Amino acid sequence: MAVAGKGAVSAAVKPIFSRDLGEAKRRVRELYRAWYREVPNTVHLYQLDITVKQGRNKVREMFLKNAHVTDPRVIDMLVIKGKMDLQETIQVWKQRTHIMRYFHETETPRPKDFLSKFYAGHDP
Amino acid sequence: MAGALRKTTGLVGLAVAENPHERLRILYTKILGVLQNIPKDAAYRKYTEQIVNQRFNLVQTETDVQKLQDKLNSGHIEEVIVQAENELSLARKMLQWKPWEPLIEEPPSDQWRWPV
Amino acid sequence: MLVVAAARGLVRAALRAGAGPAAAAQARLAGTSTAETRPTVRPKNEVEQKQLCAFGEYMAEILPKYIQQAQVTCFNELELLIHPDGIIPVLTFLRDHTNAQFKSLADLTAVDVPSRQYRFEIVYNLLSLRFNSRIRVKTYTDELTPVDSAVSVHKAANWYEREVWDMYGVFFANHPDLRRILTDYGFEGHPFRKDFPLSGYVEVRYDDEVKRVVAEPVELSQEFRKFDLNSPWEAFPAYRAAPEPLKIEAGAKKEDAK
Repeated sequence: MAVAGKGAVSAAVKPIFSRDLGEAKRRVRELYRAWYREVPNTVHLYQLDITVKQGRNKVREMFLKNAHVTDPRVIDMLVIKGKMDLQETIQVWKQRTHIMRYFHETETPRPKDFLSKFYAGHDP
Repeated sequence: MAGALRKTTGLVGLAVAENPHERLRILYTKILGVLQNIPKDAAYRKYTEQIVNQRFNLVQTETDVQKLQDKLNSGHIEEVIVQAENELSLARKMLQWKPWEPLIEEPPSDQWRWPV
Repeated sequence: MLVVAAARGLVRAALRAGAGPAAAAQARLAGTSTAETRPTVRPKNEVEQKQLCAFGEYMAEILPKYIQQAQVTCFNELELLIHPDGIIPVLTFLRDHTNAQFKSLADLTAVDVPSRQYRFEIVYNLLSLRFNSRIRVKTYTDELTPVDSAVSVHKAANWYEREVWDMYGVFFANHPDLRRILTDYGFEGHPFRKDFPLSGYVEVRYDDEVKRVVAEPVELSQEFRKFDLNSPWEAFPAYRAAPEPLKIEAGAKKEDAK
């Protein structure tokens, strides 16, 4: 979200679904539960080479990535996107590659310090 | 009346009306009834009453369906009925929306300026 | 007067709703009168423009609550600029009113202008088969303000709204089936936003080791993502030094356009 803080600043904004933070958090918990329950199914359906534990850890990690968000509207938007994602997963519209993209298995870590950047050759 | 002469309107999904005069009379009366609840100075009421009264008069004076169709000049009589039905549902919705009230909110000053 | 202004590229007959009963003729004189003529100008259809102006006034008079402005562009297109709360009423009115009958939704799209407070313009193009005329309804929103879905008025809006959601990230409230339509599953971001990089965020390749397609962050220096917009060829020469928009006050009673 580019203008994440705007909703909190202006006085009266149109809510997406949730009127306050508590309600938004309830929606997040509902979504988390749904994902949590779906993980074993997903692992089975897509025949993934991961354990249920790994899958659930990934779900947790994805939720915690947005833990700093406090604007209910932004939370709602993220929940909406998460729900769509869940639907795509449940209906098996996705394929194995889409699921495994969450795990970033093949990515080589970007060079961080000066020397490894130097070895990498260019400075992006 | 009309059914004896015409078997079809030639339009998909639009059946020939059995008794268009009666149907239109009912619809127009209903529309005018709904419009009574709208404030007198509302433009919507003014214009819609104008349209409906004009058509209602034609419907009452002209008995022949074919001639009525030509005078209304809005396609088949069945289409006129559909228009009246739409207007009735619109008038009912208008009562809730109250669009004759002043503007809810001015746009931000640069909203409609183009090029930016 | 108007002909000259059209030759310079922009005639906007702006009709403000709910304004005082000032004379239309006086406002007409407010247009510029530079004696500049170009050989290749679009032929002007005065009659059509008058009709559109009259219909714009008609609309602005009936729906003053929602219509912020009605204008006729230099290409004889009638535009209604409305408040986002008025989408359903205005579209329903245009569909059901006997003098409008815009039954067909030809197009629904969005425009992203990041410098504005409400950065997205939502544009509805409507067609009236009965009167052979078109109208454009525009409204605005930002990333987080939901817009009412027009599916209850026009069924055709369903996939268009999904497209706008996918490409711009505008959320449509009460849409029956809002999900992605063009992008791949797992795609993040909204590609038509102006702040979305041209190269995207990920690149996709087949990996032989894991035996599947993988997506990795794109390797592209930031310098290739910057674009010099000051091109020597002006994109909109017609908009250079736009003449004062021609304002016509609503209030003068006119015969219905249609």
